[in-house]
Amino acid sequence: MPDMDLSCTVNGRPVARRVAAHARLLDLLRDDLNLTGTKEGCGAGECGTCSVFVDGKLVKSCLMPAGRAEGAVIETVEGLAGRGPLTPVQKAFHKTGASQCGYCIPGMVMAATACLRQNPEADLDEIKERMGGNICRCTGYTKILEAVEIARDVIAGRADASVLDADETLGESYIGHNVRRIDAPAKVTGRLRYAADMKLVDMLQMQVLRSPHPHARIVRIDTAEAEAMPGVECVITADDVPGKDGFGVFVHDQPVMARGKVRHVGEAVAAVAAEDLVTARRAVAAIKVEYELLPGLYDPEDALKPGAPVIHDYAPDNVVKHIPLRKGDIAAGFAAADVILEHEFGTQQVEHAYLEPEAGIAFVDHDDVVTVHSPSQNITHHRHMLAEILGLPINKVRMVMSPVGGGFGGKEDMIYQGMLAIAAMKTMRPVQLNFTREESLVASAKRHPSRVAYKMGLTSDGRITAVKFEMLSDGGAYGMSSEGVMRKAAILSCGPYEIENLQVDTRAVYTNNTPSGAFRTFGGMQAQFATESMMDMAAERLGLDPFEIRRINMYRAGSLTHTQHRLDRASLDQVLDAAEAASRWETGVPSVRGALRGDLGGPDTRRPCTLGARLAGGPATAAATEAAE
Amino acid sequence: MLTCDAYHRPRTLAEALALWADAPEGSRLVSGATDIYPWARDGRAGDVHLPAMIDLSGIGELRGYGFGKGRLHLAAGTVYQDFLTDPVLRQNLPCMPHVAIWFADDQIREVATLAGNLVNASPVADGTPAVVALNGAIELARLEDGEIRRRTVEIEEFIHGPGRTAIRKGEIATQVTLDTCCGYGGAFQKVGQRRSLVISVACCAALVRTDPEGRTFEDVRLALGGVGPGPMRLREAERMLRGERVEPEAILRAAHGAADRVASRSRLDYRREVVVNFVRAALEEALANRPNRAAAHDQSKETMANA
Repeated sequence: MPDMDLSCTVNGRPVARRVAAHARLLDLLRDDLNLTGTKEGCGAGECGTCSVFVDGKLVKSCLMPAGRAEGAVIETVEGLAGRGPLTPVQKAFHKTGASQCGYCIPGMVMAATACLRQNPEADLDEIKERMGGNICRCTGYTKILEAVEIARDVIAGRADASVLDADETLGESYIGHNVRRIDAPAKVTGRLRYAADMKLVDMLQMQVLRSPHPHARIVRIDTAEAEAMPGVECVITADDVPGKDGFGVFVHDQPVMARGKVRHVGEAVAAVAAEDLVTARRAVAAIKVEYELLPGLYDPEDALKPGAPVIHDYAPDNVVKHIPLRKGDIAAGFAAADVILEHEFGTQQVEHAYLEPEAGIAFVDHDDVVTVHSPSQNITHHRHMLAEILGLPINKVRMVMSPVGGGFGGKEDMIYQGMLAIAAMKTMRPVQLNFTREESLVASAKRHPSRVAYKMGLTSDGRITAVKFEMLSDGGAYGMSSEGVMRKAAILSCGPYEIENLQVDTRAVYTNNTPSGAFRTFGGMQAQFATESMMDMAAERLGLDPFEIRRINMYRAGSLTHTQHRLDRASLDQVLDAAEAASRWETGVPSVRGALRGDLGGPDTRRPCTLGARLAGGPATAAATEAAE
Repeated sequence: MLTCDAYHRPRTLAEALALWADAPEGSRLVSGATDIYPWARDGRAGDVHLPAMIDLSGIGELRGYGFGKGRLHLAAGTVYQDFLTDPVLRQNLPCMPHVAIWFADDQIREVATLAGNLVNASPVADGTPAVVALNGAIELARLEDGEIRRRTVEIEEFIHGPGRTAIRKGEIATQVTLDTCCGYGGAFQKVGQRRSLVISVACCAALVRTDPEGRTFEDVRLALGGVGPGPMRLREAERMLRGERVEPEAILRAAHGAADRVASRSRLDYRREVVVNFVRAALEEALANRPNRAAAHDQSKETMANA
């Protein structure tokens, strides 16, 4: 590949490098200068993790040709504090707990630094606006913004620098207190190395060929051309799996790479390990796969119809898992009801969108131990599954959990570690695979899209007499965490309410959609959306206050749960009291006051985001305003 | 992934024009480069290999701006952030700061150029309607017998459709010329999937000048984006309002007239509804943003409050 010579100043030091003509500034920083505090979260200018200063201006280095570095003065997150103490911005991030997974944090620190360099007096609206190019998925931004305001006050001299180091005094308990995270300094300086930041000598880069089809039989895979390319060290397919193929959190129904057929768009079909990324991508493009298209399933209702295409031979009915719960007698319960409500609720597929795309490294060590570093949320289980897949005893497989740049459940599935391990064993060299953002979107699990058919019976004074709850979830092409998600959805189905008669069924079925898996709340959200909506609608129908109807039905000490568990204590009453007070709730039926209600938009309500903080009172209008006054 | 056989960063326009004239078929000019990298990714163009990439960002002649004949001449390297930070640009192009704040984010605005936005000719480009409202024109330079030749094309003629412009082989956009609209109130309306860093579904730029009392529209400029293959100047609505009293009825009439111009191929009803609201809101905001608005005598403000 053609190269070019570059000279620039990076973090105060002169730098000269020869880089590929197509390199981006991000590649120069990360690959050639090892400044891996600058992250690649999307490669498309959306996320802000790659923000750096070029000649004093904050830019996104994934959108800048490396050639532009020639003669430039570049400052990265590593250069902010250098070898000295943390900057006020970094200290403030540490103090407030602004760094959680930490992957967005170098970019956030850079954006906050840029904001306060541009306007040391920036108010909260302006801070929000100036940091609008950076995405965080852990914090909800509150602690980040709080940190920037503290740093601003210190920089502007309005607050003493000692506030940055001051901690609140702890009482008896850590609960309810802001306790400093010990990993925060590593995150705010960019020193923490995630899997994509790690480098090993002689390391190969892996790229993956993914299915363009949702359901197709693989007739043949021709890897000859790819294998013959200079720089390609190995091409692997399902045929290269040495042991018993199959992984999954509950059912091991997913092969390391598609075996015989593909079941969703984006499924791994083959993988290449090559000397560099470009060669690996070109080799992937040279693999020829002949597919025979199969009829697909895209709606969970269709999956249950007689004669529906079968996605996994072991499950001819396409059911991943059915969890039934029974308590009492619903026929009697509905007969005793004064009012019966029936509604359907649907929730959509959701992507976790952690800022760190999946990444990993595998190598075989001097004792023939296959070692994988990856941001896995389930390393022990991964280790057991990988030993089976590789056909190795457990002591010859080692999984190391690299820092997880956001998981939220999405990194529980072992969707790439197997490919890395096999390639490392075939080449006896370290191999790295960094997903692109697009790859992360198509290949990783999503929140289950769910439909709930709900029937609730109540007496006219608000007591629930019976519930019939039927959830159908789209499990997608593989089982992943579906079983556990359905279990949790069933357990939480009817909320924290004591219901004597209930019939709950949660089902996840196979389709040819992107697999569904674990995602924060693990099925609880889909169920709660239905239950809490039902509670509000029931309150409206019966002319009750929504808090009141919940108090009537809530779990108390001594209640028997949906799963026949006797509670020795319950705290929902306190939760409801606190929520009612905090929301300044005006007692009454939810539907009667509409726009007249006075409990909306209070002082602690977050207003919708708007833009233009820098426009009001700007130079164009300031003079005019003065003249007018 | 974007790869190339050669990356050039010329320092003069002459050098750039020579490189461009000799560049192999399929080569690309880049300035901000904020569109080309996201384009060369899976789901869009996929991996793209270019014979040559010619980066115009190092050319001194393509930086800065100047005035001439009541017009502002912005060199092609003018970036969106300049419309927020440069007081002269803010004063003379009153709609541009509003466009800029809704355009991408701070990091991208530092490198993304107005000229690049125009030559890419996306039907939903944020900058194009504002440039059309400012009677914008684009200067194109080429080499002819070793000499730099220039021609200027009005933006409305320059953009032929999505991704299609009047630019010819060997030409490089060097300048954007705009009316100076000092004393006008400017506004920009945009709707997209979210607030930050989002491409418009539809957008509207407005400029308004009134008499000092704010009673009468002296000049009105309106243009829409995202409602057809190219930007759309609302001349009929402008004519209706010019000389009219500043009243909600007049604004509403103009707004309803604008909806009939919507010619998009998708989400037609939605866009029509949006356009009515956009034109109305853009006019109201542009009135509110007038720099010479004297609060004590402001008729329009009262009228709006009563609306």
